[in-house]
Formats: sequence, C-alpha cells, structure tokens
Amino acid sequence: MSAAAPALVKERRGTLAMRLADPAATLAYVSLFFGLLLVLFPVSFPRIIIANWQSARLTPLMILFTVSVNLGLYLAVAHQRSAKPGILAAACLGSLPVFLLAALNFVLQATIAHTFAGSSPNASLLVDEEILAHTYFAMIAAIFFPFLMIRLAQQFQS
Amino acid sequence: MPPEKAAYDHLSMPALHIYELTTGWAAAKWLLWILLYLSLGILVPWVLARAWAHQHQVTMQLRLKQLFQSGELGLVGLMLAISVIWDLQKSQYSSYTIALGSVFLALTGVMAGSVWIEAYCRRSSGIRFTPGRAWRDSRNLAFLVFSLAAVTEILLDRFAKVIAL
Repeated sequence: MSAAAPALVKERRGTLAMRLADPAATLAYVSLFFGLLLVLFPVSFPRIIIANWQSARLTPLMILFTVSVNLGLYLAVAHQRSAKPGILAAACLGSLPVFLLAALNFVLQATIAHTFAGSSPNASLLVDEEILAHTYFAMIAAIFFPFLMIRLAQQFQS
Repeated sequence: MPPEKAAYDHLSMPALHIYELTTGWAAAKWLLWILLYLSLGILVPWVLARAWAHQHQVTMQLRLKQLFQSGELGLVGLMLAISVIWDLQKSQYSSYTIALGSVFLALTGVMAGSVWIEAYCRRSSGIRFTPGRAWRDSRNLAFLVFSLAAVTEILLDRFAKVIAL
C-alpha cells in the first residue's frame, strides 16, 4: 500500500488551471517599476527606450522580456500548485506576445506618421511620448493578454 | 544641482523643462491622487463599518480581508479603471494610443469586477465559495488596476506638459 501512494499522487497531478489573479500581482509590480523609473529618471529612462526603438532593438527586447516573464510565471504557479504545465498553454504564452507586439509595432508606426502629419511645433517630443506610452501599454498587454486567453479558454472548456 | 540633471546638461531645453516639471509639484499631486482613491475605495468603507459596529455595539472582525471577502475590491478596481479611461479619452494622445490604453484598462477593470460577480453567483447558487480565494483574486486584480492607473496618469501628466511647451 505504501509503495502505491506516490504513484496515485502522480496520477492525480492534473493540468494547471490558471486564474488571472496569479499573474496580476507580478504584472502590477512590473508596472509600478516602470512608473518608478519614469518618475525617478524622467529624462534618461525615456531616452533609453527611444534610443532602442530607433535602433530597432525595442520590439525584440520586449518579446524576450515578456515571453520570459510569461513562462516564468506559468512555471512558478505550476510548481506552487504541484500541477502539470499544459503544452498548449505554454505554446500560447510563447507565441501570443510575439504576434501582439509585432502587431502593436505596426500600430505605433501609424501613430508616429499620424503625429508627424499634424501641425504641432514640437512633433518630435510628442512622438517620443507616444513611443513611451506604446511601450508601456504593449509590454503590459503582452504579459496579461495570453493569460486572459488561457483563462477564457479554460472556462469555455469546463 | 541634482546629479541626474547635471548628467543631461547637454540635452535640449524642452527635455530639461520636462525634467523640472516632473520632479517638481507632480510628486505631491501623485500622492494626493493615490490617497484619494485609497481613502474613498478602502478607508471610507472600513471606517463606516467600524462606526456601524460601534453604534450597534456589535463585536465583529473588521480586517480588510473580512470586509472585502466577497471580492468587493474588484469593484473598486473597476471604478478606478473607468476614471482613468475617462482621463485618457480627454487627453490629446493619438487615437491609436487612446484606444490601446482604454481597451486594456477596460479589460483589466472588467476582470477585476468579475471576481465579485463570480463570488456573488457562487454564494447565491450554493456552489463552493471560498472567501479567501475571492479576497486574494480581487486584491491582486485591484492592485494591478491601481498600478496601471498610476502609470497611465504619470504618462498623461508628461504628455500634457509636452503639449504645453
């Protein structure tokens, strides 16, 4: 009897059911950290973001960051609940941020064109602010959106 | 002169204007904004509950966890999200940025509010309801909405100052 117990425990280890509250706290800390950097370094932090965007490194860096955070969060929750990570959910967490960030990059290009088309005297400063806002919203969306999709899919499935 | 400013003396004047304005009165404005939402959403209900218990001479547990055990913090998060969406709509950001920010804030706000709805449905229908889980979910999602709202307001503040230059 005692030898069979671990096997039974292993069998009961179901696929991980995510709740949106699981990634929410970590995402809130990421968001607050972004805000803190913005308040403490109001010139240098946006300059780093804009310099990376101008050298076309911003989107790949964001993809790397968001995919790492997503997978790290998913595995951490799976470990915490002793549940089995699902392959479909992991694939979703790995691929959705890439598509989302690529799509939002196109939206940002359109935004910049729209801002430069206006007659504002300080258009370049406005574009810098637009890039900053887009970077923030895109980063947060790329972390939250895949978990939202997984949650909705799991709810629909059940 | 602060070291941050000294390091960027070579920057253009508009950049320095942003620096000066952001580190000036905006810090105090942010504290007030945060205190307003914390007091209206969390402190006032807690004080009212304490006043009610005192008036009726009832002994009851009045921790935040007990007070908001049905996920009511999610509703506070939804209220906060709506107010920031309103601010975003009034801003002069491009329509794409406004749409992206608004949709994302609305999604998180709705998901925070849905914690209370799920808790209500579970309690009403008699399906397994765990107050601890409702509290944890609503607290995490309300914290997320709060941090999103705070950073969005910082971005709006910066943008308004650039427009004013």
